[in-house]
Amino acid sequence: MNALASTQPRPAWKRLRLNISAKQALFGYAILLPTLAIIAIFRFLPMLQAFYISLHEYDLIRPPKFIGFDNFIDLLQDPLFLNSARVSIMYVVFSCVPVWVLSLALAMLFNRRIVAKNLFRSTAFMPVVMPAVVNAVVWTFMYHQDGVVNTILGWFALDPIPWLRSSKWALWAIIIIGIWRATPYYMVIFLAGLQAIPHEYYEAAQIDGASPWRQFRHITLPLLKPTTLLVMVMSVIVAMKVFAVPLIMTGGGPADATRVLPLFIYQTAFEFFKMGRAAAMSVFLFAAVMVFTLFQIRLFSRGEE
Amino acid sequence: MKCLKLLPAVAIIVTMILAFGPAPEPAKAAEPTKPTFAFPAENITIEVWWHEYGPFTAYVKELIEAYKKVRPNVTINPTIASSTDMNQKLTVALAAGTGPDIMDADASYYVAYYAKGVLEPVNLDVFGVKSYQELAARYVSNGLASGTFDGKIYTLPYQGNSMSLFINNKLFAAAGLNPRKDAPKTWKDLMVLCPKLKKVEGNRTVRKAFEFPYHSPRWQLQDLQPMTEQFGGKILSDDGKTAHLNSPETVKALTLWRDVTKACGDPKNTKNTASNPNQDFLDGFSVMWITGPWATPQVQASPIKNDFTVVGLPQVNPAKPHTMVYGWAWAVNKNKPEVQKLVAWDFVKFMLAKPDEWLAKAGFVQPAKGVGETEVAKKFPFFNVHMKDVQTATWYIRSENVNEIAQAVGRAVDSVVYDRADPKAVLDAAQASVDRILKK
Repeated sequence: MNALASTQPRPAWKRLRLNISAKQALFGYAILLPTLAIIAIFRFLPMLQAFYISLHEYDLIRPPKFIGFDNFIDLLQDPLFLNSARVSIMYVVFSCVPVWVLSLALAMLFNRRIVAKNLFRSTAFMPVVMPAVVNAVVWTFMYHQDGVVNTILGWFALDPIPWLRSSKWALWAIIIIGIWRATPYYMVIFLAGLQAIPHEYYEAAQIDGASPWRQFRHITLPLLKPTTLLVMVMSVIVAMKVFAVPLIMTGGGPADATRVLPLFIYQTAFEFFKMGRAAAMSVFLFAAVMVFTLFQIRLFSRGEE
Repeated sequence: MKCLKLLPAVAIIVTMILAFGPAPEPAKAAEPTKPTFAFPAENITIEVWWHEYGPFTAYVKELIEAYKKVRPNVTINPTIASSTDMNQKLTVALAAGTGPDIMDADASYYVAYYAKGVLEPVNLDVFGVKSYQELAARYVSNGLASGTFDGKIYTLPYQGNSMSLFINNKLFAAAGLNPRKDAPKTWKDLMVLCPKLKKVEGNRTVRKAFEFPYHSPRWQLQDLQPMTEQFGGKILSDDGKTAHLNSPETVKALTLWRDVTKACGDPKNTKNTASNPNQDFLDGFSVMWITGPWATPQVQASPIKNDFTVVGLPQVNPAKPHTMVYGWAWAVNKNKPEVQKLVAWDFVKFMLAKPDEWLAKAGFVQPAKGVGETEVAKKFPFFNVHMKDVQTATWYIRSENVNEIAQAVGRAVDSVVYDRADPKAVLDAAQASVDRILKK
């Protein structure tokens, strides 16, 4: 038996001689495989499917009809889509920029030795843990004619503002909520970045007579660059996806003033049942986020070069 | 180059973040009458979906229990969804082949379901009639119009709501007015009353005399449609293929809307929402409000209690009244086995058999003949007013694109009311937007 076994050729996989690093790499990939498979099936596949649907006219029930790039061409001529894109861009710009500044400022504040620091940090973080739906409902009451916001304005002899019932103010009302909700989240990220900066750098700078502003300009900001990039990329992507708050608070109105792109995509897909058109909008949104992200990365890496 | 190296990582980050009706004679037909068809003897399970509304849900559950006693071999599985989500859930389920046997939808949506081929025509044998005309004759004129396609009846309404004018008696009397004698018959009458009823303190509106709806484009269309018809126009052609949003009649209707709003309301201040559309009226913030009979139990439960009056929808010319009716209806899924479809229609017949109970328990008015003669209807506040408005009504527009048309109308109304835009200009834009949709 033994002699017979020894004469049989060994299977090909047994003849493979791998060195230790190759084996380690193989083991690493094996561990990664389930996660990659999940990401591929539940993330990339739907994205490919969305692109496929975008080339069709599809109402969910009748079979999809191939129409090539008609959805894309039509969207570029659709005033409603262009308006929605404009609203989204305004939301992103006017919510993200203040968030970057405020979250960094708060992080720097909470990085200092202040009384009841942890209590303040936890309190500041509360808007993040509150569900978006709860936020929307609470803020709807706060924005009412006799709500908290207008009451505060009244203390300064200011007229009540029809926050959610004016095409002039509604988007700003949504932006304020966005800033209020996002700032503490990115504050925590900045805080982690700040705590990773060795304190010795600041001590050395102080010895050299550097002012607090110079320390911030030449130590904090440069060393926070990777964190800042992360915050900028994430905040823009999250702002581009804003959906629940405008849906609940204004439904996109008045007069389309708050119809951000994700809301318009949802309505096109699940109220108008135009899945192809909605998928084409999603592709546009994805492309916009991708381009913007690459632009930000390029901007940051140029400085390093 | 560095940028290119980072591309896969960026793609992963971006992807991960992005992913995240005869009226059967009231009170007679509680049990299925002698079947003119063979009812299956085997055990059958059917699914029924309906939209959430407390009293309605309770009554349908009661009907399921009662049906079990009559048809012990049938099991009925209920699924309840919010009214705002129902159309979406139904469409997705029907697409996935997991739709219910009996569906419940806003009547205006059924044209889309019909076009998509998912509706089963009413089983005439189950209803004991020989023709669709015979079935339609059991309802008020046009009572089944919303669910009739190409001469066949596909849906049966359990509620056909008129939109009538509710008046808060106490607030009306406080202005020295008598709700029965001074109630407006025309839009002009209404505007004359408004200065007496509206209350403004400094820059704050304390009370609105009357308000149009602003919480939902569908509600806005509900009011603009009859106003346009009162001027002799139409929002949409009968075949649903041509919109008339910028017709002189629609422009007149929107101009009237703006003028009434200026005189009577303050659209910038409202607590009305999709889930609480009558809130301002219930709170006494609006003295007059257009809503349906289903709001009656809500009004009675509010501080207003029974101190209210309902009059017909204000008109341009009371000699030629035009009102609007909308409602919800039952339909049966075509893509189910024949035996299940038969049982489904049998249960629909059972459910609709007592219009008086529907009125008493859910506040819903079936557009069926003979409802007004029932004891419940006689006791229901202002039932005759509601029925009169139903009789002069046309159904809410039917189109596969009804939501997009409503959005276009809502956008036009908002622009005129909130941004002081010219009615003709915004309706031209709305027409262009709807034309784009309908041309496809």
